Amino acid sequence: MPEQRFDAQVRQEGSVATMDLSGEINRGADDRMTSAYDDVAKTGAATILLNFTRVGYINSTGIAVIVAMLGRARNDGRQVSAYGLTDHYKHLFDITRLSDFMNIYDDESTALAGVGAGA
Amino acid sequence: MSDQPTTPSPAEATPEPEQLEAAAVRRSDAGNWAKVSPTLHLENVPEGAINLNVEGRRTASPMQGFGKMWQKTYSVRIPSSIASPTDVVTQWRAAFSSFWPPGNFFYSPFTDLSPGDVALLNLKAVGRVKLSTGMLVMYVDDEAITLMTPVGHFFAAFNTFGAHSDGDDTIVQIQPLFRSGDPIYEMGMPIMSRMEDRFWAQTLRNVAAHFGVEDVEVTQTKVCIDKKRNWAAVKNVRHNSLIRSILYLVATPFRWIARPFKKDADPDAQAPDR
Repeated sequence: MPEQRFDAQVRQEGSVATMDLSGEINRGADDRMTSAYDDVAKTGAATILLNFTRVGYINSTGIAVIVAMLGRARNDGRQVSAYGLTDHYKHLFDITRLSDFMNIYDDESTALAGVGAGA
Repeated sequence: MSDQPTTPSPAEATPEPEQLEAAAVRRSDAGNWAKVSPTLHLENVPEGAINLNVEGRRTASPMQGFGKMWQKTYSVRIPSSIASPTDVVTQWRAAFSSFWPPGNFFYSPFTDLSPGDVALLNLKAVGRVKLSTGMLVMYVDDEAITLMTPVGHFFAAFNTFGAHSDGDDTIVQIQPLFRSGDPIYEMGMPIMSRMEDRFWAQTLRNVAAHFGVEDVEVTQTKVCIDKKRNWAAVKNVRHNSLIRSILYLVATPFRWIARPFKKDADPDAQAPDR
């Protein structure tokens, strides 16, 4: 199966920046994830929502890319939450203990309500 | 604060989430990952191995550690005509412990590393102290193996051992993403970091030598991902595997004295000298 190129687009609602992730999160995702995070940093958003709805594959180097992004967010004082994960990837976030560090929601509306974007 | 998108919004091209889910072609990778287990369990501990600090422990990702978060990358190049990335990882996986520097032991339950395996590590430490710790094989595929540390290990880490193509070469790489496990380890970071550099550089040279490539140059990069310490992880000190390994060494004479009494109490006990 051909590899789906990774992409990350940023959109902002108030203090929440949503990163719409798509394709495969692997070693090749590092540069794009970093530049997307830089875009978030420019907005000054306090919270990042990671949208995994269009992510087709995550390998261990992809998890490291996500952890590195979480590390940067923590360093900058930003909260990170996620939504749109399949059961398999929720399971994967449990294995890697990423779920200890981010709230995971089923969909965008629940996530936005959860992080208080509507307030 | 601006509510304008900072990069082109995908909103126009983005249908309902259900449609997106259906549209995303998902590759099956469930077999590459370890299964979730609340704690680690060791099987087939070899006689003579020091079995401490693994059984019943939880794993720790780099987010669960204490110190600054670092990402290091160690790389060597070997011609792809000698070995493809898949060749490298297949053989690395099959003889993982044989590439470690002498005097350090990686006891895995099976010869071929598989997701979910828990390995016991006995590492050279200070003086006569052998540091006993472990690793979970978190992920394995054709081009990478990722190990995750237990709480109490000197690093809270993902260590990825992989290979990929770059022109006519295969880049063989070790990439730890880590924090020190607790404040005591953090104080020793300058020393531990140098030891780690030597350890993984030698491992890569051994992998290259396995394919007949000698005198390779090991390149190294080091990036600080998060310079803030994670004070919530101070409590990891109570699991510190170095302290527990030192206490184990100090208690050795007492175990020798107690051994005959233990045998009397349980005549079927194997009582290996661990």
